Amino acid sequence: MKVRFQLNNEKRSLDVEPNDVLFDVLRDKIGLKSPKCGCDRGDCGACSILLNGKSVRSCLVLAAEIEGANIVTVEGIGQTDLSPVQKAFLDKNAFQCGYCAPGMIIAATELLEHNKHPNAHEVREALSGNLCRCTGYTPIIEAVCQARGRKS
Amino acid sequence: MPIAHEYEYLKPTSVAEAVDILSRFENNVRCLAGGTDLIVHLKENVVRPAAVVDIKAIPELSGIKMQGNELRIGALVTFSEIIHSAEIKKHFPVLVEAAETVASVGVRNRATLVGNICSAVPSLDAAPVLLIYDAQVVVRGKNGERSISIHDWFTGPKKTSKAADELVTHVIVNKPLEKHAAAYVKLGRYRGEDLAQAGVAVMLTDNKNYRIATCALGPIAKRAPKVEAALNSHTPSKKTFEDAAKFILSEISPITDIRASKEYREHMAVVMTRRALEAAMARLLGKTVDVASILGG
Amino acid sequence: MTSKKQDELKYVGKSVSRIDEMDKVSGAARYADDLEFGPNLLFAEIVESTQAHALIKSIDTSAAEKEEGVVRVFTGKDFPGLRFGLYMQDRYVFAQNRVRFVGEQVAAVVARCPKAAKRAAALVKVEYEPLPAVLNQMNALNSDCNLVHEKLGEYSHVPWFFPKAGTNIAHWRKVRKGDISNAFQEADFILEDTYNVPRYAHCAIEPHVATALFDHAGRITVWASSQSPYTQRHLFAECLAPLGITHKDVRVIAPYVGGGFGGKAGVTMEILAVVLATKLKGMPVKVRWSREQEFYNTYQRLGVVAKVKMGVKSDGTIVALDHKIHWDAGAYVEYGANVVNAAGLSASGPYNIPHISIDSMCIYTNLPPGGAYRGFGYSECLFGIESHIDRIARHLKIDPVEMRRKNAIRTGDILPYGSHMNPSGLVECIDKVAAEIEWGKKEMSKDPTKFIGKGFALFWKAPAMPPNASSSAFLKFNEDASMNILVSAMEIGQGFLTAMAQIAAEVLQVPPHKIRVETPDTDRNPYEWQTVASHITWGTGNAVRRAALDAKQQILEQVARVHHYLADDMYLDNEMVKCKQEPAFALPLKNFVITGLAMEDGTYRGGPIIGRGTFMPEFSSALSDPETSQGGHPNVHYTVGAAALTLEVDKETGKMRVLKAVEALDAGKVINPDMAKGQLVGGLLQGLATVLYEDMRYNESGKLLNPNFTDYKIPTCKDVPLEIVPILVEVPQPDGPFGARGIGEHTMLPAAPMIANAVHDAVGVRIVSMPVTAEKVALAILQSEANHTARGAHS
Repeated sequence: MKVRFQLNNEKRSLDVEPNDVLFDVLRDKIGLKSPKCGCDRGDCGACSILLNGKSVRSCLVLAAEIEGANIVTVEGIGQTDLSPVQKAFLDKNAFQCGYCAPGMIIAATELLEHNKHPNAHEVREALSGNLCRCTGYTPIIEAVCQARGRKS
Repeated sequence: MPIAHEYEYLKPTSVAEAVDILSRFENNVRCLAGGTDLIVHLKENVVRPAAVVDIKAIPELSGIKMQGNELRIGALVTFSEIIHSAEIKKHFPVLVEAAETVASVGVRNRATLVGNICSAVPSLDAAPVLLIYDAQVVVRGKNGERSISIHDWFTGPKKTSKAADELVTHVIVNKPLEKHAAAYVKLGRYRGEDLAQAGVAVMLTDNKNYRIATCALGPIAKRAPKVEAALNSHTPSKKTFEDAAKFILSEISPITDIRASKEYREHMAVVMTRRALEAAMARLLGKTVDVASILGG
Repeated sequence: MTSKKQDELKYVGKSVSRIDEMDKVSGAARYADDLEFGPNLLFAEIVESTQAHALIKSIDTSAAEKEEGVVRVFTGKDFPGLRFGLYMQDRYVFAQNRVRFVGEQVAAVVARCPKAAKRAAALVKVEYEPLPAVLNQMNALNSDCNLVHEKLGEYSHVPWFFPKAGTNIAHWRKVRKGDISNAFQEADFILEDTYNVPRYAHCAIEPHVATALFDHAGRITVWASSQSPYTQRHLFAECLAPLGITHKDVRVIAPYVGGGFGGKAGVTMEILAVVLATKLKGMPVKVRWSREQEFYNTYQRLGVVAKVKMGVKSDGTIVALDHKIHWDAGAYVEYGANVVNAAGLSASGPYNIPHISIDSMCIYTNLPPGGAYRGFGYSECLFGIESHIDRIARHLKIDPVEMRRKNAIRTGDILPYGSHMNPSGLVECIDKVAAEIEWGKKEMSKDPTKFIGKGFALFWKAPAMPPNASSSAFLKFNEDASMNILVSAMEIGQGFLTAMAQIAAEVLQVPPHKIRVETPDTDRNPYEWQTVASHITWGTGNAVRRAALDAKQQILEQVARVHHYLADDMYLDNEMVKCKQEPAFALPLKNFVITGLAMEDGTYRGGPIIGRGTFMPEFSSALSDPETSQGGHPNVHYTVGAAALTLEVDKETGKMRVLKAVEALDAGKVINPDMAKGQLVGGLLQGLATVLYEDMRYNESGKLLNPNFTDYKIPTCKDVPLEIVPILVEVPQPDGPFGARGIGEHTMLPAAPMIANAVHDAVGVRIVSMPVTAEKVALAILQSEANHTARGAHS
């Protein structure tokens, strides 16, 4: 079946199977590799993307569902220049292995889109579905708190 | 991990069309709203339906609507929508409280309250709150619409009283007329997202009516009438709560599983009932209580 | 060498930006599963054992072979007798008519797409004849227990292992120091108890993935998420030797690794991609582990039952330790046996104890293979030792921190196996942590159900490596005096690439941002043993420093040849060569590091500067007396530290919250403070997770019950201590680059005992089995109250 959607500011259409998962389509059919597989069941957040402005697990979305949707991945967020969230991640070394970073950046981007001045509690709430095994989260929380002070 | 199983993907635009599909495929069909359970089950070959019915194009199933004291939550309403609904926050803050304990933002942005109660797992967080509000689940089938009391909804672990060819269209929650306060206390293995090891929701009114419901403490989520009887018409006090909370043990039948032992669940059911009552009482008096911290940790 | 002092370092010791930062925040970073292989790529799905121990009666692959898209189905018969192993060759690539754990690879379906592979794999029918399974290491020691490996006596292994053929003991490390038989008579107090530590999973967020291509020219190329590209190449070459493949024919390319923690060291599932590829010439074959497989068929941290008997004088002086450590090493111990070995050598903890007996036993069970996990056995042993010290101190009414300080191992003290302790800032760590946590000051909660306690623990760890674990580095300049460093240790998140750039930058006085360090390709990058053991800052750092010194010498010699200054009079500064005798002389490196120096006649001298450095710890030896471990020098040095935390415990629910955690460790010289603190904070949380939330649960059939993050709970950002204070102490390691030694694993070592000690301090119950969950604490309090009431009733 054919689906038409917007991906990182570009109109796209693609043939997909009813049992294709969006995550696999983004990576293997489209070639966007920033969403990562960590658990395949929605527990880790590494595959997060923005679907109509909301962070979702791309491993739990069927490709068939995205007809008419607007999708943004980290490749789209930093298309021209790094976003304030990405810059803050640089400043605070908010990654080590880097594998969770795209998902974290998606979650933080969604938060700051809807809440310009989140407090630390709200930052934790927004990121708590994204697992990181390296950093102990401290620098990630600091980065998002720093990014909230910046204009996008 | 791919979905290896093959099925038909259907996207009806009306309830009638959806119901028709459901009856056409009999039991061999699954509804897709948020997909946070279904897609995991498809990947893991837990379900192998002939068709997946995406109900997101049915306008009637959307939306949160408050009319008088009645709240209507459509089948497509996600936990995030509940959390961000000003009306629910104002009239049913404990529903927001329970929604906030479900998984995490990225899941709540897709997962629906109706999907949650359709899964009917013993640990589901939405159930105790719906139980204390005496919610109604409205379903539509070939023979028309019927309303099922939430008290009759759960018939066993992962089982509901909905027929296979019926579609849940919405849930109705009624706001009690008297002044009241409520709390949902969830026991998880840590502060981060977890399935409930145990959950207790309580409501108390200023004319000394009490409602208590639990999840993950037996095969289904249910009310605890014996605790309510021990409390009703009693003036709230620490002592009253402490004495009544012990009756919870005669209302539950917890098991030992990977998340907790029967022993710990029993111990905690009493502690949680007491602390939930104290929290609701404090709220009735206008105090702010952070339930996330109520059990420590 | 310039005569600069340490405090004049320009790049080492500074929190310079990470050189992988743009890759990692932009989404550009490529991990092994992100690489493209084109339309000829095949996908393998592995059929796994459902039995903990069984004979394979038959495998029916006919239905799977008929499935559309399937290229071939393989079983153990296609790979007869193929074995591999890092330290002991006891592991089968595919099960050979016998399976030894639930999840062991029995067959493989290779297909054109993942869906077809998965569909077909479900159609492979395996018939088993169950054998008695042993799921507990203590049972495995019973003389009537069935053997997991009857041919143990025939397996080849490193000379420092001592397997006991005809038993389930794959290795038995014995350490004997002083005279243990009489020592306990000298003691005023003896405490004996048993501590249990379950198995743990690494939980790197990136699962294992490997793609292998056996091309038509006969070369094998493997792209893998790996901590050990060279060790993998070696094990692949060894395994494939019967096919006439040699080391030069095998190439391993390892891109960024999405977390390792020991789990991607050695060889596990990568071998499957390699052997399957050898049967499918010209087609790359990808094997990708699901999260579930990640849990049950990669290395796991070994489970431990440790019996600790410690004798002390009434003033708190430790006189004797008898430590019997029984490791549940799983079905194959090719890597895990070295955990047993390394931890056994150091199972005294960081204490100077005159009389020691340690028995560290590597025991086969029918559970998944144990292997390397951050901390390499030390966390497990320290849980018992550090709990014990606390209990003894309280019994003797001595301050537990005082007792630790009194017995703490100091520079030059004699280690359990007879060598001497390296320079160490352990006492400084103890003092700094005690001050920061306000040790001795009792804190009270305002909430009457909550109690606050403090827990303290010391730790140490040495790199566990063969004595000839070596490192090497190439350094080549570019035209603009930027440079590329080629090494084969891995960036697994710790900041290795940046640290190497800083070391070279310091020697050559070129800023780190002008230095590119890439992940390796074994065809191009020089040898490295493995990225494990917290050794690469030290070992690879030494190789890089030597490569930079080599380049520097070439630079100075080139300039000396043309300008006739003495090499000793010249120095590097700000990307230029300068001369002490000639202040006006400043020759930019970019003028000649590639092009050479121009002579008046238009000819050139010198040319491309290419530095080369290698490092071998030549003083190290694993050979010693098997009955005592005396006589060798198995460990190159120890990194030490101390930690403490303040814990709030709810006495009814058992729920715990870390209010403050302090950890100090002696890094010798910190190369990059920000990255070092990042290691400390992240590692400490990983340690706290093992004690507060995590453990692997098996049922009575040996099946793992929680192979997912739904029920194996790794912490989220809501589960971090309210405050963490990292403290870095610097007592230089004489043979380390700029005095540095490793800290990567150490950061998680003290977590478990300090929680157990803090729980006891707060609510008076002693938990001797990990994890120390809220449930366990609450039930222990209930039990203790019940005992108290019962005692009251009887009196």
